Amino acid sequence: MKFILDAEQRLFGETLHRLLDGAGTPGVIRSRAAGEPEPVRSLWRALAGAGVFAPAVPEAAGGAGPLPVELVTAFHELGRHAVPGPLAETAAAAELLTRLGGFSGSGGAGRAGDESGTAGAAGAGGLAAEWLPRIAEGTAAVSLVLPPAVPYALDADLADAVWLVDGDRLCETVPGAARSSLDPGRRLFPVRVGTVLARGPAVRAAARAAGDVGALACAAQLVGLGRRLLEATVAYAAARHQFGRPIGSFQAVKHRLADVLVALEYARPLVHGAALAYGSPDLPRDVSAAKAAASEAAYAAARTALQVHGAIAYTDEYDLGLWIRRARALRTAWGSPADHRARVMSCLAES
Amino acid sequence: MNIVVCVKQVPDTATERKLRSDDKTLDRDAADGVINELCEYAVEEALLLKEAHGGEVTVLTMGPDKASDTIRKALAMGADKAVHLVDDALHGSDALGTSHAMAQALKKIGFDLVILGSESTDARTGVLAAMLAERLGVPQLTFAKKVEVGKGTITVQRVTDYGYDKVEASLPAVVSVVEKINEPRYPSFKGIMAAKKKPVEKLGVADAGIDASQVGLANSWSEVVDFAAAPPRAAGTIVKDEGDGGAKAAEFLASKKFV
Repeated sequence: MKFILDAEQRLFGETLHRLLDGAGTPGVIRSRAAGEPEPVRSLWRALAGAGVFAPAVPEAAGGAGPLPVELVTAFHELGRHAVPGPLAETAAAAELLTRLGGFSGSGGAGRAGDESGTAGAAGAGGLAAEWLPRIAEGTAAVSLVLPPAVPYALDADLADAVWLVDGDRLCETVPGAARSSLDPGRRLFPVRVGTVLARGPAVRAAARAAGDVGALACAAQLVGLGRRLLEATVAYAAARHQFGRPIGSFQAVKHRLADVLVALEYARPLVHGAALAYGSPDLPRDVSAAKAAASEAAYAAARTALQVHGAIAYTDEYDLGLWIRRARALRTAWGSPADHRARVMSCLAES
Repeated sequence: MNIVVCVKQVPDTATERKLRSDDKTLDRDAADGVINELCEYAVEEALLLKEAHGGEVTVLTMGPDKASDTIRKALAMGADKAVHLVDDALHGSDALGTSHAMAQALKKIGFDLVILGSESTDARTGVLAAMLAERLGVPQLTFAKKVEVGKGTITVQRVTDYGYDKVEASLPAVVSVVEKINEPRYPSFKGIMAAKKKPVEKLGVADAGIDASQVGLANSWSEVVDFAAAPPRAAGTIVKDEGDGGAKAAEFLASKKFV
């Protein structure tokens, strides 16, 4: 299997990296935490303009997808810069709409609500036709609740739509009061079921596909986060001197850093492998393997960053903590490592 | 309007740049090649002029095969097509040789306006725009921070040490731009994908009508005789303040004739 990105994919990733470097995401996260939504929204529009959601939205609806490898390339950069907002949620919603709207070309698509539901196929198609172009162009952020893996609506206050899949129903929701996350860049909202938008077995199938895309996007973010944490920690270990030597010259520090690198390098091909499995029956297994490995690798990177930096790591004014806390939050977002390991196990047992 | 933007691939300024020990030319394998930063401003200005006045933007570069990455970047930003001057015979050309080769290519392509960055981050000669204008027999408007195109004319604000001059000329012309001129766009994903399908014409020395005796290392008017790494910075003097720090600092400055 070929895991080397081609020239266009590399240029896409580099472009996002430069854009985000210039945008200064720590400032965006801090203003988000202070309750100002506008910096996140304007960054969102810039990212959508650069095509972050194009790989998740089909060509017929204003995107360029489905292009899962390009999607993980983009989300790797979003994670590397700790971009806030319902990013994986919006990508997952795009997948859900693609399936329900009949854009995926697979059997069963566009049949949502055939069993005399509240909304028929036309309703689901209309929903997709309305929202997919807006997602592609960056004028709509969607928060998606997919119990049990995604029990709360992330950043419902920033989202233009907050949807819940409850069994075979896709519903609008009424968000409750925000719960704070340990990550200052995230807010979690419990939701109550509102108007039913579509109903039927197609909803259940589309939600499963959306869950895989959300977990895959989250896994890519985690690898990007872990990479950034490792880079920052290696640089710190080279610059920080103790006992007259850089602390990075001590074996105990070196070994921890090497362990993180190994974990990240094992997780990255799993993420790319899962992207390549898009459209195959192995997708659930491969996504779970990727999400479990990426979660643990990024979390190890965060723990190591915290230890090696010492007290500065948890100093609020120091940006590193924004990455550390994001890694902890995303570790269990879209399913915990244990959930995903269990799913790998059950997939293997079935085959 | 037919606009040609000249772009150059340069070694990434964030990495260590080296010269080759054998022929004393740039070691292109030692560092990643990136588009010269000022060239991005030139591409952006060409795109803005195209958006305002219509026409077509052609990218022209001279460099080895891997300079195609730089072409791809410019096409992804929105240029329409590209011409890549690539030939082993061009290796090691100095500014005079390069300007001859580029001028020949420009005559072949045809243009109303040629836009360049005012200098590259590697060679930093900053003379190519002037040389091209001379060889092509058209006006040169260099160090532009603002460009306006009228009917057959072009007006620029040319940055000087004391402010700017307003310079006007008839088209066709050659313009070089400074970084104050605009904010280069980021290529979008669709732009990147569209760039794959845009035409890139490769021209060798013979195809472009270049006189081989005017280009290449052997025919360069400037020659690199020798080079050495910059000496490492010497350790500074640390003055320990025991109540007389000010006097010691003043003494030091006086010894260097600063005060």
